[in-house]
Amino acid sequence: MKILITGASGFLGRAVVERLFAHGNLDLTCFVRANSDVSVLDKIRNRYPHARLDYLVGDLASPDDARRAVEGVETIYHLAAGMRGLPATIFVNTVVASKCLLDAIQDKKRRVVLISSLGVYGTSFLETGRVIGEGTELDPHPEKRNVYFHAKIWQERLFRAQAEKGRVDLVVLRPGILYGNANPNCGFPSRIGILVGSVLLVFGGGNPLPLSHVVNCAEAVVLAGQNAEASGQSYNVLDDNVPSAIKYLRSYKHQVKNITTIRFPFFATMLLSQVVEKYHVKTHGQIPAVLTPYESSAMWKGHQFDNQNIKKLGWKQIMPTEEAMRDTFVYLRGLNGHTQ
Amino acid sequence: MTIKVALVGCGKTADMHISGIRKLNAARIVAVCDIEPLMAEQLAARYGIANFYSDFDELLAIEKPDVVHIATPPPSHVSLAMNAIDAGCHLVVEKPLALDSCEAAQLIAHAERRARKLTIAYTYYFDPVVRMLRRLVREKVMGEAVHLESFFGYNLNGPFGSPILSDRDHWVHKLPGKLFQNILDHLLNKITEFLPDEKPLVKAYSWQGADRLHQLDCDLPDELRVIVIGEKQSAHGAFSSHSRPVQHFLTFYGTKNTAHLDFENSTITLARDSVLPGVLGRLASPFAQGWQHIREGGRNVLRFARSEYHFFEGFNYLLSEFYRGIVHDLPVPIPYHEILRVAVLIDQIASQVREEGARKG
Repeated sequence: MKILITGASGFLGRAVVERLFAHGNLDLTCFVRANSDVSVLDKIRNRYPHARLDYLVGDLASPDDARRAVEGVETIYHLAAGMRGLPATIFVNTVVASKCLLDAIQDKKRRVVLISSLGVYGTSFLETGRVIGEGTELDPHPEKRNVYFHAKIWQERLFRAQAEKGRVDLVVLRPGILYGNANPNCGFPSRIGILVGSVLLVFGGGNPLPLSHVVNCAEAVVLAGQNAEASGQSYNVLDDNVPSAIKYLRSYKHQVKNITTIRFPFFATMLLSQVVEKYHVKTHGQIPAVLTPYESSAMWKGHQFDNQNIKKLGWKQIMPTEEAMRDTFVYLRGLNGHTQ
Repeated sequence: MTIKVALVGCGKTADMHISGIRKLNAARIVAVCDIEPLMAEQLAARYGIANFYSDFDELLAIEKPDVVHIATPPPSHVSLAMNAIDAGCHLVVEKPLALDSCEAAQLIAHAERRARKLTIAYTYYFDPVVRMLRRLVREKVMGEAVHLESFFGYNLNGPFGSPILSDRDHWVHKLPGKLFQNILDHLLNKITEFLPDEKPLVKAYSWQGADRLHQLDCDLPDELRVIVIGEKQSAHGAFSSHSRPVQHFLTFYGTKNTAHLDFENSTITLARDSVLPGVLGRLASPFAQGWQHIREGGRNVLRFARSEYHFFEGFNYLLSEFYRGIVHDLPVPIPYHEILRVAVLIDQIASQVREEGARKG
């Protein structure tokens, strides 16, 4: 069975390729961009001598490239998304690319494993402490969220619309904060706060951080892709026993490096968000609206995420949370120039 | 009077246009359009714009806008602009205006024939520091221009550059002057204003410096040096994708004073002769320079406090002048002659870059 992985050269993509090989899927096609670094993928392939790993180079937002990508493919792991850049770039790489992919597979129903995000839920309206399961509604106002979540919500809506028409055998995975030892940007996820220069403004406080070690997440992705019961289902993907933002930071300071932090309780976060938003509007965008009451409420109100559903597919955490944090922090400490 | 505005092309520069238009009291955005309906819809949703289209002619027919902003890739500028002019619209067109100076001239001539106003999105033409330089020149503080140095740094891994690297079919690769053609307006429009020769001598040197570009398996020169020699003035333009930090400046060497315009930090400083003699003058000079920077920093703080310190302040000023010109029937803020002189220079440079590329094989 031929499998396509979009976004394969990314942080999660590489781990998914590794887990697919580990589960005995030895014929993979990776869709990558012209400037993607595939050296890590090459190394993974070398560890599986009988495996076949083909690269398709292109832009998924091009209908021709998308058609080329899905030829002869049975299962698609759709990880590609715009992570950074201008709003239009993020939208093109997440939503327009998804539309092209969906258009390309209209001729034949296939399984698509869509990597969404825990951030797509409409948590802004929900009370503090609410446990967010897969049945929670998607955010009804994506335009009020940051550009990344805006695009991810739109992307999931597109796929759901096609699945409801019976054109896609869809499985949606909504990972939390992906972290691990190969992502230099995973030190301070936005659910903790915002780094301003060398000072971290901490808004997450005692909220549980929905961490998902990249290996654990990749295992969940592969299980969901292979399991017939997963058809039409959505799964939150986060590890067990996750620390609070403050506890995570304490460990970070102890194991990686010290950093100046300013902690904001939730009411102060909301107050600051109102000030920033009003100033942004009043000055016609002289500073960006990095904080808005809507986004802050969605991110830092103190919700918890439930991961029971993915366990029903037999998912077990490969790397325990304590070890996963240590693994990440050792890597980040190395990046900061410390010897072990 | 409220001016009805529409925008076509909901890509990377659309946000800058929408933000600029929303600052104008006299204008209201009635619709946006993109060949990809999702792009139009997301832009409309983010800015609360009532209507979005994927068919530009339909937009023109239904919305009947007074002004159209064209922010599509350059190959489509002329045809969209011609349609908009025929529909009676004034135009703000992203740079480059057209694929060459002939097309640009035809478009401008068409706008003039139909008595429609047109301007080009020169982001830095009215930057506060350039406006200050113009004042210094007007007040004869600078004397006559002798030489100009225009430097434009670029980050190929930045928000505008990385989409070009990640897609070998990106429209920038298909422009006659490739990456340079999309950027050269910024480098050259600061020169032509002070170098009045109609046909200066132009010599361009270019090469490809990025290692990671070789992965793309395509020819994309990303370093450019241009020498422009007029009868009494000269200029040097440098476009660099590899020097760090990314800088953007203009140095104006005049017969009385030399001015250094730093666009990244929005400062203008003068290198003047010291009034103190010999070694005392040399000792005092760095302090005088330092004082100028402190003064410029203070001026920027005041501008920030007055909400006049936006990243695209020059573009906002251009729009306010253009729209004021529409309301009061004033001349366009950027003379057509200037736009065309820049276009001719770009033609010459693109041609030399292509020849050099062919020579290198």
